[in-house]
Amino acid sequence: MSAITDKKQRESLAMRYERIFSFLAPLVAILISFVIGGIVIACLGKNPVQGYALLFSGSLGNPQKIASSLVSACPLIFTSLAAAFAYKCGVFNLGGEGQFIMGAVASVTVALTSGVEGVPGILLCILAGIIVGAVWAAISAVMKIVRGLNEMITSIMLNYVATLFMSYVYTSVLRDGANPQTPSVPDSLMLYKFPGFRIHAGVIVAVILTILVAYVLDKTSFGFKVRAVGLNPLASRVNGFPVKALIFVSFIISGAIAGMGGSIELLGKQYRLMSGFGSGFGFDGVAVALIAQLSPIGSLFVAIFFGILTTGASSMQVGIAVPTAIVEIIRALIIIFSVSGMAWLRLPKTKQFLAVLAARRDAKPARAEGAMASVAGTTGKEGARA
Amino acid sequence: MAELMRMEHISKRFGTKLANDDVSLGVNEGEVHTLLGENGAGKSTLMNVLTGLYQPTSGKIFFRGKETKINGPRDAASMGIGMVHQHFMLINAMTALENITLGTKNNPSPRLNRSEDKRKVQELADRYGLEVDLDARVADMSIGMQQRVEILKVLYRGADLLVLDEPTAVLTDVEAEGLFSIMQSLTAEKKAVIFISHKMREVMRVSDRITVLRDGKSVTTLSCAETTSQELADLMIGHRFRESIYEKVTNPGEAVMSLNHVSLYPERKHGGLKDVSLSIHRGEIVGVAGIDGNGQSQLAQVVTGFAQPTSGTVDTPSGKVAIYSPKSFIDAGVADIPEDRNSMGLVGDMSIAENLILKNTDDERFSYGHGAWFKSRHIHEFAEQMREKNDIRCASVDQPVRSLSGGNQQKVILARELESHPSLLVAAYPTRGLDIGATEFVHDAMIRERDAGCAILLISADFDEVLKLSDRIVVLFEGQVMGTYPGKGAPVKEISLAMAGK
Repeated sequence: MSAITDKKQRESLAMRYERIFSFLAPLVAILISFVIGGIVIACLGKNPVQGYALLFSGSLGNPQKIASSLVSACPLIFTSLAAAFAYKCGVFNLGGEGQFIMGAVASVTVALTSGVEGVPGILLCILAGIIVGAVWAAISAVMKIVRGLNEMITSIMLNYVATLFMSYVYTSVLRDGANPQTPSVPDSLMLYKFPGFRIHAGVIVAVILTILVAYVLDKTSFGFKVRAVGLNPLASRVNGFPVKALIFVSFIISGAIAGMGGSIELLGKQYRLMSGFGSGFGFDGVAVALIAQLSPIGSLFVAIFFGILTTGASSMQVGIAVPTAIVEIIRALIIIFSVSGMAWLRLPKTKQFLAVLAARRDAKPARAEGAMASVAGTTGKEGARA
Repeated sequence: MAELMRMEHISKRFGTKLANDDVSLGVNEGEVHTLLGENGAGKSTLMNVLTGLYQPTSGKIFFRGKETKINGPRDAASMGIGMVHQHFMLINAMTALENITLGTKNNPSPRLNRSEDKRKVQELADRYGLEVDLDARVADMSIGMQQRVEILKVLYRGADLLVLDEPTAVLTDVEAEGLFSIMQSLTAEKKAVIFISHKMREVMRVSDRITVLRDGKSVTTLSCAETTSQELADLMIGHRFRESIYEKVTNPGEAVMSLNHVSLYPERKHGGLKDVSLSIHRGEIVGVAGIDGNGQSQLAQVVTGFAQPTSGTVDTPSGKVAIYSPKSFIDAGVADIPEDRNSMGLVGDMSIAENLILKNTDDERFSYGHGAWFKSRHIHEFAEQMREKNDIRCASVDQPVRSLSGGNQQKVILARELESHPSLLVAAYPTRGLDIGATEFVHDAMIRERDAGCAILLISADFDEVLKLSDRIVVLFEGQVMGTYPGKGAPVKEISLAMAGK
């Protein structure tokens, strides 16, 4: 084998290491976060092992509990997918929460006023959610494309507008009697629930959508262009891609996904709007997408993991009176550690380290072969002597 | 002649890579010592060791006969070693004097003594014939004067050994001559210069001795008087090198694209176009000569549809161009080797295969219609074909394109751009940063394409490259066409004068 191919193989081995390490980074981050969380629990005078046992038995202990975890993961799956899609095209949609809320507002309005029942009604509600989510994102997208405003800032500001608009809707327009909340959506518009479980059909939709998005991004010419624009907008422009149009479309798709998430959360779990609906899902979605390194399938798993933590937190609180805030601390730590882990992987020093590692790994079999040869040599000599 | 500096058996290791492998270099007082080598031969690493930016893995440095350890650029400066980097390290908003005296202080009082500083700097400038307007802001200076400021800066800090890293890359021929006479006056005062260049003509002209580096090793040190440029080129690449000589075309076909009185940002002195008219014909290479920053990038932008001219028209055989967008130009058969292959030509984090289809994603060979599913197997086959055909050296076509060397990256771009047999190829700085082998590959491909009937617009800062390839030479200066010259028997002197705006 020539020296050149040797060198190339080593390079690709180093690259494989890079990939393995970037897969390991979030897992290590989770481990470290749990250790630190354990220390915090111990400081509260509780037993961390017992706490974690409760955390996981409370979220994964039996099929019903698993179902609950999936249900609490469902909105995160949508918002993280929304964030990942926009990120892939190089734009930052931090307005997932607003789009989610506006989607739910649209759905509840259609559900309470249109009078369409059954499956057509459900589809109509979800469609309304998708469209309004997309339109809400389009506001930021238009401002970015036409006037160059930073989409991060405008989309965050639109979150507040959406939250306040929602409270206007449930306190004034669609108020349910004396309570500051909307009436519940009609029974026929609630999503199908698997008998005996809290899990609703929306979770299935979320999983299918994730797979669809992953496929579109990876296996279609449209997804290719989106990724190319995200990775290098200038080269994309030079090569004839309609960069602005692609950014616009991606942002709108991102908003549509978040809006759909809002509809499904409404029709599958909450059934009505009230104070706090959708709160936090937008930013948690961004965090999930970051931990998953913008991979849609990865986001699905991270979102489910976050769902497990949320569900388990309450059983930990009920069991040994560890506040649920501990789980929020752990979640925050996971975000910090996995993001810094990924940043560490990008350092030139780390890359060099991986290259050295690959070289060593490469040298080992060669040395082993050398040893074999020398053994063969000695036996040969002995043979000659004999 | 006394030896000023000697580096003995210097090795520098980065990870698993030996950038310098047992390199030795000795520089005498009052000599111009050239460091010659291809990209990646270890010239910069060696100079960074000398100026203290890197610590050698092994080896010794002697300065004025004493073994020394250079801990950093400040250390190097206090010993009398100064470097003029290829990319100037000047603060544009400050005057020349401020830049030169920045960070130095000669008196204990906290007040700056400007007039005293100025007198000293002026004295130095006069002594070595460095013509600099000390009160002018760097931003308003020509590149040549900025370089003189850099040299003065180094001299002001008391340098006896000056390292000039590719100093002529940014200069016109006339300015380069000025630099050479400055170098002469420096060596007359017993100062030594390490000159880094790969332009053989200049190396033969200014050097006293030449050290050739190859693959991180010092191959040999020769006296300039006893060698030839052919021998140097052979030593540099390690085997016998025959530079191809291409036949020039004098009777090209019909015009593929014509610019009529095109202006783009005409108010700008650097980086605009003023009333440019030129046409490019089938089967010819039109070379644009000129010093960097005289409108070359803008010309490339106009002919690739990236920018719309402020005034004037661009005509193609199918009529006047109405829509200026890269897409419509690509559809009209314009291919582009962009000036910066990393930021404009390639998506570094995508695979080689993906970069090869960057322009043709919606092509029916690769996907089922606009934006639809990819035909992955076809893409892979296509990539393998291209890899074979263009000798792209990689472990797999699925590895990210950023992991390739510059030469192989350029081959990916060439493969993609020439695959569609364009009617016009715009090649901006197509061999910048490439080694001799890759340069030859690119040149051969361009000539082949020309002979197949493609019109080529070559934009390059390398005058020798323009002379070698062009059938017609257009000189740009401050955004204007200074003249058009035949490529066959090109009037070199006249062209270099035109490049300087004369």
